[in-house]
Amino acid sequence: MEPEVVNSEMLLPQNFSFKKVQMGDKYPKGHARGRHWKHLKQILQAENYQLYPTDEPNYLNIETPPSMYPSKKFCDITGFEASYMDPRTNLRYANPEVFKRVRMLPNEHVQRYLSLRNAAVILR
Amino acid sequence: MLSSATRPERQTDYRRFSPAIPIIIDNGGFNFRIGWAGESDPRITFRNLVYRPRHKATGETVTIVGDHDPVLLKYFDCTRSSYRSAFDSNVVYQFEIMEYVLDYGFDRLGVEDSQVDHPILMTECICNPISSRSKMAELLFETYGVPSLAFGVDAAFGYKFNQQHGICSEDGLAICSGFATSHIIPFVEGEPVLEACCRTNVGGYHVTDYLKQLLSLNYPYHISSITWEKAEELKLDHCYVAYDYAAELQLFQKGTKEAEEKIRCWQLPWIPPSQEDAPSEEELARKAALKEKQGQRLRDIAAAKKSTRISELEHKLHGLEDLVQQLDEVEDEELYSILSATDYNSKQEIESAVHRVTQSLRKARGEPCESEEKVDASLSEKYPLISIPDNMLTPEQLKEKKKQIFLKTTSEGRLRAKQKKFNEELLREKQNQEDEEKRLENPELYLEQTRVKYRELCERVDQRKRLKTNGNGNSSGGVGRGERLNSVQKERMRLLTTAAFDRGKGEDTFGARDEDWQLYKLMSRDNDDDDDSLDEDETELARVTTRLQEIDPEFVAKSDLAALQGTLEFTRLRPLTAEDFKINLGIERFRCPEILFQPSMVGVDQAGLDEMTGVSLRRLSTKDDAVKNRMCNSIIVLGGSSLFPGLDSRLEAGIRQIRPYLSPLKVVRSLDPVLDAWRGAAAYATSMQFSTQTFSIQDYYEKGESGLKQYQIKYSL
Repeated sequence: MEPEVVNSEMLLPQNFSFKKVQMGDKYPKGHARGRHWKHLKQILQAENYQLYPTDEPNYLNIETPPSMYPSKKFCDITGFEASYMDPRTNLRYANPEVFKRVRMLPNEHVQRYLSLRNAAVILR
Repeated sequence: MLSSATRPERQTDYRRFSPAIPIIIDNGGFNFRIGWAGESDPRITFRNLVYRPRHKATGETVTIVGDHDPVLLKYFDCTRSSYRSAFDSNVVYQFEIMEYVLDYGFDRLGVEDSQVDHPILMTECICNPISSRSKMAELLFETYGVPSLAFGVDAAFGYKFNQQHGICSEDGLAICSGFATSHIIPFVEGEPVLEACCRTNVGGYHVTDYLKQLLSLNYPYHISSITWEKAEELKLDHCYVAYDYAAELQLFQKGTKEAEEKIRCWQLPWIPPSQEDAPSEEELARKAALKEKQGQRLRDIAAAKKSTRISELEHKLHGLEDLVQQLDEVEDEELYSILSATDYNSKQEIESAVHRVTQSLRKARGEPCESEEKVDASLSEKYPLISIPDNMLTPEQLKEKKKQIFLKTTSEGRLRAKQKKFNEELLREKQNQEDEEKRLENPELYLEQTRVKYRELCERVDQRKRLKTNGNGNSSGGVGRGERLNSVQKERMRLLTTAAFDRGKGEDTFGARDEDWQLYKLMSRDNDDDDDSLDEDETELARVTTRLQEIDPEFVAKSDLAALQGTLEFTRLRPLTAEDFKINLGIERFRCPEILFQPSMVGVDQAGLDEMTGVSLRRLSTKDDAVKNRMCNSIIVLGGSSLFPGLDSRLEAGIRQIRPYLSPLKVVRSLDPVLDAWRGAAAYATSMQFSTQTFSIQDYYEKGESGLKQYQIKYSL
């Protein structure tokens, strides 16, 4: 190791005196192990919240419901209030100048603009 | 984030703390803070991230936790892995990563014994899933040998801390906007009411990400400069919350001076290109001479080619003329012997060849061509077989006759076309003359009329074109995406669909009338049938255009205009200036934080911060308005994302809308939105009753997961 790296103490040592089980023993090297963790979605599914009383607060039921007001439409490109939507790209736009830009956009950018508001077409 | 920060020093005073003093950990999505109970500030703070690159020299995988000097990363191969966080949203899910982070945290705190022999108070999210909580307990108990544990909610500690300092009362609301999520937690008599909490999955991470995406879409050339870290920095320095979002948008849309003043610029590093000296006079002259020389050479070659062709043709002509003379002199018998030596079959053929050669010679010399009509006229007498009836001819002659008929009809057709063209020219001339007369009578009126006519024609032709191509012939990428058909195609589709679906409805009488069959003609008709009227319009337009060009000095044809605009658009190939390396932050400054109030802007279908308050108040079991009024009079804003300027006043305005008229309302920022949670926890752990709130290792071994499920601390001790 380069002296600069050692001096900066940026690397985490392998072993610590205060640990009962060292990292290397817990996850031995060279052993292929599958994914040993679950995504939040899987964790929540495994919690079986549906078996609990409904008035008990849990991670899922404290989520905020959707807004009661209709969501405002904003121009995807400029952010101004958008009165129009391009039927071809599904992008919202504020005025004719923006529309020109919308029609000039490559498809990749269109999809990226759409995915900003979670409206992109996802092919599986 | 990682760039400017320095590595924290390892603390040396670990021995001073007795095992009874708890270690306080604020395990936040953005920063990890660790320190001692009773102290005013955490000892160590670092980004809650792990980086596992490969060391280039040795090939080892190493672990780097938190902030580090990016310069040192040159020794590592960072292509295989990226930053990793232990968090999915606000829940810890990767405990291997968490272990690295805890290792580092305890190490920096100076832990020296064989185990971490201190009670630990750690923050977690509200309603943390039990599996996450129990895995965390397992890690702390079994790996670090922690004697006892306490889990509490960061925002609640923050609220209690502010309550102790008299910022808020025991009934109130904590609005906590963190890194991954935003929460509203109501407090009644100093305890959080978990049933009435609500969470929206939008936080500081989303704001930064939105800013990064918007900027990189707006400035695709600088995509490599717009890193996540830079976006985070820009967010902290420049973003603000608009008091009235719609009004602020209007301000920018109108482009007022006020809006211009709000635009911030970020100048990317830019090195001006080295100035090339303009070519000297001498150089220019040399280049011109070279060009002239090359041109002369080409001209010489062309001239030489022409002269050789002329001489060739002359030679051929001479030969042919000699042959004709020879043939004139000799008798018929010898004629055939002479002819067989040449490629020609008859004298006539030779004559016509002579004629052809003289024609092309004239052309080569650049003399005016003799009109072909005469030739045609002379040739027309050479169809002797046509007038003779078929039955009087031999099969060979019949064949010849057919050929002659064909030749005759084509030449006649050509003549007719010529005549027509001539007539048209005459007509146009006449029209022009009439126009000229009109113009001489009243020049101004005439000019005006012509212009009007021109405009009308232009419009009509354009409309036709638009109808045909549906107005998107040019400058549009991706054809066929929900494309509309033109009127002819539409009509055809209608016919096809009615034909497909109308059958079987009642009695089928199709084909009973002859007109029915016309339908197929319509169906099969191609959509690119040319309309004669369109052609007429176009020719008329061309005529009017030329007229206008002659008489109107200010006139510019539309096609020329379009061409001009086209050239303007394509003259982008200029040297890059500092202006091109400037990133403007205008509307983005308040557009990005706005997602906290309108999560639908980033596609999250949940209510924003102000509306969440109403949801939370409605979820309270108490129907006592006095309690709610008291709570609204003590609203406190916490968390890293509440640092945006203008957030509290916007929240106040938003919440006022959902509260009854003239009801009390007070929204305040907490003492230190970022550190209050840790400080509150540190203060909480100093209490004498803290040990009653912990979950010990014995509890863990006796009750296990179900014990942790029941476990819930009381915040007011």
